[in-house]
Amino acid sequence: MLTRLIGALAPRRTVHAHCDIPCGVYDPQQARIEAESCYKIIQKYNDSSDELFRARCIVVKEERADLAKHHIDVMWHDYFKPEHVEKFADLHETCWKASKQGSKVKQTVDINEAQKLLDLIDRIDHMWRETGGSTATRMQQLEPVGGAASDVAASAVKG
Amino acid sequence: MGHRNRGAAALALAGAAVLVRAPGGTAIRRVRRSWDWRMAVEGGSMLPALRPGDWLLVDPHGFDQGRPAAGDLVVVPDPRLTERWLVKRVWAVDPDGRLDVRGDSPAASTDSRTFGAVDPATIVGRPWLRYWPIRRGGRVG
Repeated sequence: MLTRLIGALAPRRTVHAHCDIPCGVYDPQQARIEAESCYKIIQKYNDSSDELFRARCIVVKEERADLAKHHIDVMWHDYFKPEHVEKFADLHETCWKASKQGSKVKQTVDINEAQKLLDLIDRIDHMWRETGGSTATRMQQLEPVGGAASDVAASAVKG
Repeated sequence: MGHRNRGAAALALAGAAVLVRAPGGTAIRRVRRSWDWRMAVEGGSMLPALRPGDWLLVDPHGFDQGRPAAGDLVVVPDPRLTERWLVKRVWAVDPDGRLDVRGDSPAASTDSRTFGAVDPATIVGRPWLRYWPIRRGGRVG
């Protein structure tokens, strides 16, 4: 009775009054790195005959594919703007396919599917570059961290 | 049982609020046409006017009699992802008729400052009555 009453009164859907706190930092490489992990994991899975190792591959691949999907969705929902859609007619289609391909990679150990995911992410990457790319959405790294560290190492060797 | 009584009271209060503040047959019609458009507020960008968890009736014909103006509450699809609906307030109407929508709590809101002005043709409806919680039940907007 109570459930029915609440059911009758309860709202049918949600209206959002949210803040995204858009930090403005976007880079499809985040998705690509996770997708590369999936690709390599599938290779290692297929090369191995160790059942335990193969089981771990499946688990980790699913995690990575999920992260790739998340990063694709962030590009789609948060980065791309209406004017980008006007510029690239296939933007929605590509993001949608990429997200779906992420699900496919979760399900399969077919390396071709992992390659398809990489290709779709690269298409998103292309659209990101053409709409501002890293100059618009990444902080400028004044001094590459790796470079500075190796300089220290080099001087230590010399010293 | 307490919940049940509260639920019934909410209905009664919603009804009373309508009848008292908007006499005439139009109010009842408004409830009827809004009844399928019961929506829950999620997030705090509309504080203090709307709180997360508020239940609202949204009138799908709320702007039939007049165009939205600055100060009106609106439910609009997020232009970046149209299946997601937002509740915001019209901040300004651009010369071309598009709506600049903002949260009442700008620091906690993602709105036209991020996604630009919205097309008034996309408006889902006009929130006009809060029916839950009862204590704060009544007209909104």
